[in-house]
Parts: sequence; C-alpha cells; structure tokens
Amino acid sequence: MQSVLKWIHTLEDGLLVSALISMLLMAVLQIILRNFFDAGIFWAESFLRILVLWVAMLGAMVATRELTHISIDAFSRYLNPNMKVLVEFVTRAFSAVICFTVAYYAIEFVGYEYEDKTIAFARVPTWLCQSIIPFGFFVMGFRFAIHAITGIASVGKKR
Amino acid sequence: MATLISSVIALFALFGTPLFVVILAAAMLGFYFAEIPLTVIVIEIYRLVDTPLLLALPLFTFAGYLLAESNLSSRLVRLTQVFLGWLPGGLAVVAFITCAFFTAFTGASGVTIVAVGALLYPALVEAGYRDKFSLGLVTTSGSLGLLLAPSLPLILYGVIVQQMNLPNPITIQELFIAGTLPALLMITLLTIYSIWSNRGEVIERGVFTRQDALDALLAAKWEIPLPVIILGGIYSGFFAISEAAAVTAFYVFIIEVIVLKEVKFKELPRVIREAMVMVGGILLILGVSLAFTNYLIDAEIPQQLFDWISYYIKDKLTFLIVLNIVLLALGAILDIFSALVIMIPLIVPVAMRFGIDPVHLGIIFLANMQIGYFTPPIGMNLFIASFRFKRSITELYQATIPFMLVLLIALGIITYVPSVSLFFLDR
Repeated sequence: MQSVLKWIHTLEDGLLVSALISMLLMAVLQIILRNFFDAGIFWAESFLRILVLWVAMLGAMVATRELTHISIDAFSRYLNPNMKVLVEFVTRAFSAVICFTVAYYAIEFVGYEYEDKTIAFARVPTWLCQSIIPFGFFVMGFRFAIHAITGIASVGKKR
Repeated sequence: MATLISSVIALFALFGTPLFVVILAAAMLGFYFAEIPLTVIVIEIYRLVDTPLLLALPLFTFAGYLLAESNLSSRLVRLTQVFLGWLPGGLAVVAFITCAFFTAFTGASGVTIVAVGALLYPALVEAGYRDKFSLGLVTTSGSLGLLLAPSLPLILYGVIVQQMNLPNPITIQELFIAGTLPALLMITLLTIYSIWSNRGEVIERGVFTRQDALDALLAAKWEIPLPVIILGGIYSGFFAISEAAAVTAFYVFIIEVIVLKEVKFKELPRVIREAMVMVGGILLILGVSLAFTNYLIDAEIPQQLFDWISYYIKDKLTFLIVLNIVLLALGAILDIFSALVIMIPLIVPVAMRFGIDPVHLGIIFLANMQIGYFTPPIGMNLFIASFRFKRSITELYQATIPFMLVLLIALGIITYVPSVSLFFLDR
C-alpha cells in the first residue's frame, strides 16, 4: 500500500515537473521560430494555455497532499491542542465536501464537451484537456477527507 | 439564511480553511441563491485557459526559484558594494538595492531575508551600524521591490483587473512602468533615514578600486544582462510579457544549471516542484476567484458597496485615507495573494467611481501590502527574520518600527500624489 502510494506521488510530481519543462521548451521554441524563421507551430498557443491549467491543478493537488495551501488562518494559533484537532477536522471535512461538489459539476461540464467533440490542439480533444478539472478536484476532495480522518485518528492513538 | 451561511464560511476562513475552498464555497452560495446552475463555477475556472498572460506566472516563478538556489545573492551584494559601498550610508543603499532586485524576481516570498538579508546583516553590523538598526533594515528590505518588474503580485493585480473589463483597461507594461518611481522614492527615503539615523556612529566605508570593480563585474557577468533582457524586452515592446518570462526562465536555466552549475541537474526536479506547487496554488485561487468575481458583478455588489461608502465618504481624499487604513490592516492579517484576489474585485470599481486611476490604485495597493509584510503582530517577514536571526519577535517589532514610519511617509506621497506613479504614462 505504502509503495503504491509512493509510486502515485512520484508520478504526480513527475507530471508537474514535465508540465513546466514542456511549457518552457514550447514557449522558447515558438519565440525562436517566430523571430528567426518567420514560422510557428499553430497549435502551440493553445497547448501552452492548457499547460497553465494543468500546472494549476497538479500543483494544487500536491499542495493538498502536503497541506500547504494558502490560507488566512488568523485564529487557530490561539486554540488549545484539543480544540485545534477538532477545528482541523471540521475545516478539512468542509474542504473535502466543497471539492467533491466541484468535481461533480466538472464531470457534467466535461460531459458536454465530450458530446461536442471539439479539438483543443493538434488532435487532442478538448474534453481530455479539461478532464484534469474533475480529476484534480476529486483527488483533492479525497485527500482532504483522508487528512480529516488521520488527524482525528492520531489523537485517538495518543490516548 | 444566506447571511448565516456566509458568516460560517468567513469563520472557516479565519480558522485556516484553504483560501480556494473558501472562495469556492462563497461563489457556490451566491450562485445557488441566485438560482444559477453551479456548472458556471467550472466554466469560470476553465477561463484560466483564456488568459495567455498567465503563462508568465509559472515561468517567472521558476526563474526566481532557480536564482534563489544559486549564489546570485552573494555576487549581487559584492557588485553593489563595490559601486555604492564608498558612499555615505553606502552599505545601507547596497542592502536596499540588492533586496529590491531580489524581491522583484522572487516575488516577496520571504526568500529575500533568508538569501540576501542573511549575508547583509553581519556585514552591516561589522561596518559599524547598530545591531537593532541592521536587523530592522534587513527585515524591512525583505519586501522592498514588490513594485518592480517582474514581481508576481504586480502581474497578478494586472491579470485580475484585466478580467473585469473596465472602461479604461490597463496593461502589465503600464504597471511595470508605474512601479519604478514609487520604488525609487522608497529607497531614497530609506537611505536618507539610514544616513541620518547613524550620524553619530563611526561607519566603515568601502573603498572603490578599479580591480575590485572589474572582478565583481566579471563574477556577475552572466546575470547582469538579465534586467536588460526583461525590462528592455518588455518596455520596448519586443517581447510580450509571457515571452519575456520564457526567455528569462530559459536564460536563467542555462546560466545557473549549465554554465555556472550552481544548481545541480538532479536538484532541478525538486526546485521545479517547489515552484510549481506555489504557483499551482495561486493559479487555482485565481481561477476560483474568477468565478467569485463574476458572481459579485452579477449581484452588483461593488455598486452596493459604492452606494454605502459614498453615503459616508464624499471626496476622493477621505476615501484614499480610509483605503490606506483598511489595506494596511488587511496587509497585516492576510497574505498578499489572498488580499489581491479578495479585495481587488471589490475595491477597483469603487475606487474608479471616486476618480482613482486603476494603475495608480494598483501601486497604492501593493505599497500597502509591502508594509503589511512587517506590520505587527503577524507580518510574515517578522517571523521569517525572527527564525533566521534567532531574535524574539518583540525585538523585531521594535527594530522595524522606524523603517515602517519612513515607508508610511513614502506611502502617503505615493497615495496623494498620483503623478509619482503615472508620470511616465499617458493616462
């Protein structure tokens, strides 16, 4: 189980890193082609924009794994340890519910696009590019739920 | 009912719920009560794809993270020290300029204090500056440069405002130009204060020799073209912002990884990953805030806010004073990205009704946020400096207060004299 998880995390990190590298290479290639050869790859622009979406979703998925999302968090430093665990459980469970809800509507959104059969760039269909949205939100919801449960469970063990 | 749920969401936010979740919840609530299908939220998130400018964010951030991993900080300190260290207050000027440059590239993530401040603090004390003064100086300088290209918050402000379809649109180029004089004003005032504050002390000054200058120039020869590429490329219109970002990222990669080898190849995935987790989080917040902004505009919230405010405040001047107080308070509580996505959609339409230019407003906004970084009790840079220099947080409060007063004067000038920001612009 642990090794499967590790493998998934490595894959996820690898995708995130490759997204940036592809973004960088494609953007530079496009500049070189435009300025020196007066040419260009005509789907490069769309590809780059989609990569921005993928970086956003993949980066946020990793941030959820590590609980490093930007938050306001003005009060929880003043809570006693027991209250803190409880508050963390509530906020994480809440986050999970919100993420699952977005994932549900995102599936509907991607579904419409699947029926339309539009092409995003080259021969890649739009729905495939968009599918990172439901997938990402589902993974984040799942991770928030796991964090919520493990947070409570760790207190149980200490006692 | 809606009010009750909104209060619960706000409470969740204050207890550490991730910001993107809070904004999503608020948007869902709004659309639900307006009887608009929630699929609209996903459509708005997908609008991240419609904004070519956003490509600049991951690329500039990657460049910034690479530069922070390299030894650029020591080369930069050496370079400015040779050329400016012999002036009265020279080392202080060195500190301000190096930090400003470094922050512009790394986006005020606190890395300036760790990378540059840690080098400068011992140097300042050794040169004869008082300990408390030196500590305050490096802490304050950690957010200096927020107004200079290509700082991330400046780009983000531009992106958010562009999404709002204002009657007089703004460009990122205009923001980059607008930020220069205010940043120079801050550095000048801080320098004057530094010289005045240390008038009784014996301060060791650097000596300028041609050999040192040559050596320092040679050591930094790869990085010196960088500002020229970015600023020259953007201001001349040769590069679009995202192209300048791609060229910068590629150039920084070549020099730091391949030429200077200061960042090892096997370190690269870690650096990219760290940078992208940070950017990913910000992009997602931006995506969901597009949905929220859409709701706000649909529900005419900025209009209602204006009506409410204009009942109490009649003139531009009073509005600006209140705006500064609100933003300073927010800057101390919220981190800069949260403040940007939450406040801009509300403030910009209202401020425009009071006749404030959106470019000028952006500079005011970020100048406030810059001070917020070291405003007690929870300014982020106070904690970073406290951790890095092993001082109590109260010591840092005391050390930074004089610098804060100086920057408040600068903020006052920036706010009430719009031409400081708009001088070079045709607005």
